[in-house]
Amino acid sequence: MIAIQNLHFAYRKKPVFTGLSLQLQPGHIYGLLGKNGTGKSTLLRNMAGLLFPDKGKIEIMGFNPEERKPSFLQEVFMVPEEFYMPDVPLQHLIKHHAPFYPKFNKTQFEKYVTDFEIPLDSTLQNMSYGQKKKVLISFGLASNASVLLMDEPTNGLDIMSKSQFRKVMAGALDENKCIVISTHQVKDLENLIDRITIIDEGKILFDQTVDAISRKLSFRISFDSEEVKQALYSESSLRGNAIISPNTEGEESKLDLELLYKAIIINRDSIQSVFKA
Amino acid sequence: MNQSFELSRWLMLVSKHWSENRKKYTLSLIAMAGLLLVWFVFALVMERARPIDDNIQFVTYYFGLFLVGCLYASMLFADLSSKSKGMNYLAIPASHFEKLLCTLFYGVIAFFICYTLLFYLIDAPMVKLSNAIAYSHWQKTHLAGSTFEAGRVLNVFTAIGDSDNHGDEFYHFLLAYFALQSAFIFGSVYFPKFSFIKTVISLLLISLFFVFFVGKVLNEMMPYGSFYKGITSYRVFHVEAAASGSTIVTSNDITDKLVSLPSWIEDVLIFIAKYAFAPIFWTLAYYRLKEKEI
Repeated sequence: MIAIQNLHFAYRKKPVFTGLSLQLQPGHIYGLLGKNGTGKSTLLRNMAGLLFPDKGKIEIMGFNPEERKPSFLQEVFMVPEEFYMPDVPLQHLIKHHAPFYPKFNKTQFEKYVTDFEIPLDSTLQNMSYGQKKKVLISFGLASNASVLLMDEPTNGLDIMSKSQFRKVMAGALDENKCIVISTHQVKDLENLIDRITIIDEGKILFDQTVDAISRKLSFRISFDSEEVKQALYSESSLRGNAIISPNTEGEESKLDLELLYKAIIINRDSIQSVFKA
Repeated sequence: MNQSFELSRWLMLVSKHWSENRKKYTLSLIAMAGLLLVWFVFALVMERARPIDDNIQFVTYYFGLFLVGCLYASMLFADLSSKSKGMNYLAIPASHFEKLLCTLFYGVIAFFICYTLLFYLIDAPMVKLSNAIAYSHWQKTHLAGSTFEAGRVLNVFTAIGDSDNHGDEFYHFLLAYFALQSAFIFGSVYFPKFSFIKTVISLLLISLFFVFFVGKVLNEMMPYGSFYKGITSYRVFHVEAAASGSTIVTSNDITDKLVSLPSWIEDVLIFIAKYAFAPIFWTLAYYRLKEKEI
């Protein structure tokens, strides 16, 4: 569905990507993780056709994003971190903005907006940043675009809204959609994403499905100093030592996304050696 | 699905633009009407004895059209100067051509019609009022045998005063306006920030370059003489050497030579000067919009 080959991109003379390649398939929610300034937003904007690659190729559903053809824009919806919504009532949004998306579903939109506890008769002008973002997310989901790109979608959302967001997103995925969520707040995406892609210094550092991670790695709290020493990554906490170790017994453990992220950034080689084995 | 232009999609874009901007446009029209009213009242107060004449109406209409039209044109793509608004604008599922046409519809056609209607909405009653004031003033002060000449509502698209000869000038003013406004439309896509000022500076620099090029470079290359009735004919003066070693230049119909380019070149140049600037700048704006990155 999305094929990125040998992507090169630079802001003036500051290179961001130098040969990034990535394949994304429908029916998945991809978590794009990385430190600030590693190019997560830049990658999404390249995919949305808002930035053009210097070299390499991006193809989304057979379209070249650079051309920004109407058929492409109907199928790719982006929720940017810095977004703009006109100061109009929600009904105006449905009447004047929704018709651009042939698969837009008004009932779905109203359901998502209601799930986010926003009155349907309200106006965007009177809404907070978080509320506007929830409307935009609802609109993006209801547009039924095949590709949904979300840049830090949980920024600006309160604790309850983050939980609502996870609930809404989990119910929105189907086998024809591909959702890419970029964030540095990895905790917000736990139990939501099914594939994790970590970018660092313009390259893909790690790219695995959650299933594969659960099969190969074990996440637990340990008090055994020997076990801690042998762990792929460990971190002391009040509850004991949070460790990641190879899952040799085939046991099931709860994926700790934040711990995994830190392990890959700090101790990438040892984590990757498990997946190569 | 046609990826370049579909009437239904374009109409949706026009309707969306109106739904998001109608408050702003309504307020702008009210402000413009207020300014016109204040100006006419000022003109009335300054000259009570005479009705508002053709010249005042002419200058007011075209000064306002040029100033407000170019200011508005330089804001037509202001969304592109903001990251969030720009992304929202470029991501709307419509082609670049449809987006440009929508902008031209509001910025060129709708603005021109609204401004003209607004002008007459203020101008007509103000001319009537000034006639009444001037007439009452004339009744008190007129000399026996003199007649009162009432002012008329000027048709800004035909002629000024009595002259049918001036009709063409208005037409040229309008063409010049659309050409200049199109440059500001291009400027609003090209310059992300301060597009009005940057466009003004760019136009000044281009004009200066043109004057310098014609005055210094072109004139130096040409034989001694001057352009004759336009820029496609050149009159070469007669130059002869004097006994003292200096040169004597004489100019008369017998000794001078006239070098003219073929008449079609003049026709093409006149056509470009009259009609081509606006479409050229609109086309440039289209390509700039297509390659816009945010």
